Amino acid sequence: MADSHDMVKKVFTTNSARVETNKGDAYYDSLFEKAKLRLKALKKQRPLKDIDMMDIVESEGVNRRDFMKWASATTATLMLPPMFTPLVAEATELMNRVPVVWIELQDCAGNSEALLRSSAPTVDDLIFDVLSLEFHETIMAASGHQADAQLEDAIEHFKGKYLLFVEGAIPTAMNGQYGTIGASGETFQEHLERLSKDAAAVVAVGTCATFGGIPAAAPNPTGAVGVMNIVKGKPVINIPACPANPANMVGVVLHYVLTGQIPELDSLLRPKFAFGYRIHDNCERRAHFDAGEFVEEWGDHGAQNNFCLYKVGCKGPMTFNNCSIIRYNEGANWPVGVGRGCIGCSEPDFWDKYAYERPMADANIKAPTGGVEKTVDQFGLGLLTATTIGIGVHAVTSAMVGKKTVHTKDGEE
Amino acid sequence: MRTVDIVERIEGEAKLVCTWDDKIITNAQIEFLNFRGFEYILEKKAPLDALIYTPRICGICGQAHLKATVEVLENIYKNLNYEIELTNKAKLLREIGLNIEIIDSHIKWFYMFIMPDITALSSKDFSSYKPLKGEKWLKSSFITSEIIKSLAIIGGQWPHTSYMVPGGVVSDPTLLDLTTMKNYLDSAINFFEDDFAGVCIDDYLSFSKAEDLDKIGKDLKDFIDLCFEHGFDKIGKSYNRHLVLSSTELFKVGKSNKRVINRVDLERIEESCEYTFNIDKNKQSKEAYTWAKNVRYADNFFETGPLSRAVISKRAFISKLHEKFEDSVLTRVMARMDEFVHLLYITKNLISKIDISEESFVKPKISLNEIKNAEAKSVVEASRGSLFHDISIKDGKISKYNVITPTVWNLGPGNKSEPSVAQKAIIGLDSIEKAEITLRSFDICSVCTTH
Ligand code: SF4
Ligand code: SF4
Repeated sequence: MADSHDMVKKVFTTNSARVETNKGDAYYDSLFEKAKLRLKALKKQRPLKDIDMMDIVESEGVNRRDFMKWASATTATLMLPPMFTPLVAEATELMNRVPVVWIELQDCAGNSEALLRSSAPTVDDLIFDVLSLEFHETIMAASGHQADAQLEDAIEHFKGKYLLFVEGAIPTAMNGQYGTIGASGETFQEHLERLSKDAAAVVAVGTCATFGGIPAAAPNPTGAVGVMNIVKGKPVINIPACPANPANMVGVVLHYVLTGQIPELDSLLRPKFAFGYRIHDNCERRAHFDAGEFVEEWGDHGAQNNFCLYKVGCKGPMTFNNCSIIRYNEGANWPVGVGRGCIGCSEPDFWDKYAYERPMADANIKAPTGGVEKTVDQFGLGLLTATTIGIGVHAVTSAMVGKKTVHTKDGEE
Repeated sequence: MRTVDIVERIEGEAKLVCTWDDKIITNAQIEFLNFRGFEYILEKKAPLDALIYTPRICGICGQAHLKATVEVLENIYKNLNYEIELTNKAKLLREIGLNIEIIDSHIKWFYMFIMPDITALSSKDFSSYKPLKGEKWLKSSFITSEIIKSLAIIGGQWPHTSYMVPGGVVSDPTLLDLTTMKNYLDSAINFFEDDFAGVCIDDYLSFSKAEDLDKIGKDLKDFIDLCFEHGFDKIGKSYNRHLVLSSTELFKVGKSNKRVINRVDLERIEESCEYTFNIDKNKQSKEAYTWAKNVRYADNFFETGPLSRAVISKRAFISKLHEKFEDSVLTRVMARMDEFVHLLYITKNLISKIDISEESFVKPKISLNEIKNAEAKSVVEASRGSLFHDISIKDGKISKYNVITPTVWNLGPGNKSEPSVAQKAIIGLDSIEKAEITLRSFDICSVCTTH
């Protein structure tokens, strides 16, 4: 486990592989002072749960050194300079001061599943013991009316303080009758509006909650939309992907505990620390892309040698996310690792625009723009096409049925 | 009298509306009120795109949907007489992936869904099972995240992997990968022996009498004791008709209506919508109250799931329990638990059978996009029971995609003359707690039921 933390830290601190987010010493110094004050104030608050983080960490056989290693990797993930490491460690211990309410709307529970599967040093414990998860329908103890009451209690008691995590889209067609909840038959939209009213911030987890996801795919039979289309006048943080990476969920909470603020977001409201660069920028197969070595079809010589998956439809060059670094299931693997290619699941409308089998050069997609970071803003399809033309875009497209005309250097179609 | 209860701690929620007469439940409506419309969304899409869509029907049994989709696409080729070559390695990797998902789901279901409810009935101290905090709960959450890593090794991630494609699988595991996978399964076996059942796996697998129940210890014994204490060996009985649509190393196809017949004709499956909402209001019946449909085989309601699989393939221990306790809550839960142990054992062996020098993928001769007109069906055993996919392709696009999920067999709304499987099991009970636990014994999944 410790090794994968080292790896994460290495990737995040290597210049070539990350987006330039250095905001200068003055900025970090002031943030540092602010965080110190914030943590001091939090420490004075009564914990919502009487559990000591370090007790847990130690009782799980993780020593202080490993814990600090984890904290230093996490600091890097959050794109903060190393001096923040002790503060991140302290913030982790204070996670039990921030109440979290998690609701599920039009979803498949995939993000809850992903969260359950996570355990950075012992994030099972971090999340379940230290984090004050005041309500989570699928995994909490209560059910039925008792659960209803628990939810009402939590939002009343933590008015203005809780982070509301939302998983799943919101159906708006037919007056919201495609999704209702509880004994009163409140629609998902009403439910979300009511619970977000007193939240400190709303965190949309997974592509359904952020951009409408799969239920919003054409023809969008239920009129599904994402949280940001419904919740107004509240900070909304989007953590897309299908499923979203638990590391990013923990990251957002930590950032909030540490600074009292939501992390810096791009124009799609995604935290830049996680979505500030493309899969392609840190992909383990990138060297093969640059060398023009591609898997032409699954199972071929290229596939056996882990060549680049661009020609079999990898959307990594268009997809902003950090899973090429964090990977999934505690770093066990990720889609590109297994030879499948990225499907662009953290981008809006990815179901319809990115699709499975269409190699990217043939799909009419535009890069998402926004935010202030160079890579995010200045990235365009042109950049990619320029790189790949020389290595035979025509080979990709001519293999396609019903192909569009793509002009390549040698003038072939 | 009528009561309305919300059943949570499933995927999504369900409403259980009971009608009472003199403290006995005379009618039970199970309402699923969340709908996304996958079958509509799949229309007009490129056939291969279905590989990305259908696993998202459910965050828990996505593997099963993936396998059903890849096989329905391969069956399209077969129905058109194009040969589809599939290496033994690809077949093995698919079955292994599915098995791991079932193992994971069963363990999690026991600790996260069943135990919190059943321990709540007792005044004894069961705080170690307390969700999010109890030491047994945390341990089970740890072990399931270990097990699922063995699937991530070949699938790339979990949930929602898409490593299967028509013609094989995209992954090419190395020997080291395979050993790592086996190590994860070994830690699950240790968990079974030390924490879950307190018996060594070989002894357990040789159990063949109902009395062998007494040899079980640890957490599973807690369940068994609570079951007898509260009479769950006698309740939860339904039609005792069982159906299994597909076979694997562990399961056999067949149906049982008093006797077992190992033949099933997919043409005899019929879906109906008497109580089901319709996206087109004009087609909706006045009595509609749920998004779930009814499905029957040869005009009868059949149960599907681990109990049915154990009965049809005549697995010794569960068959004996079934003779004695019939289709009670006890037998149903025991069948699910028995299944994960058998799958652990079998899956380890399947991994050993992989010949890494074989190909993972053999490209189909033509593209699905070139297909003018074709139809196909496929069947897969998912954690909760039999899953059925039915596709039509027209001019290279999906023109119709129908999914019948396991829970629909068990948890449909019933029809005019007969209640569905779960309804029948609940009618006649005398307490809402018993009704909820009986309902839970079917491993409800709201999102897959309505998709
Ligand atoms: S974004 Fe993906 S994982 Fe999340 S609820 Fe939607 S389909 Fe499931
Ligand atoms: S195209 Fe995909 S596989 Fe190739 S280097 Fe980029 S992200 Fe990696």
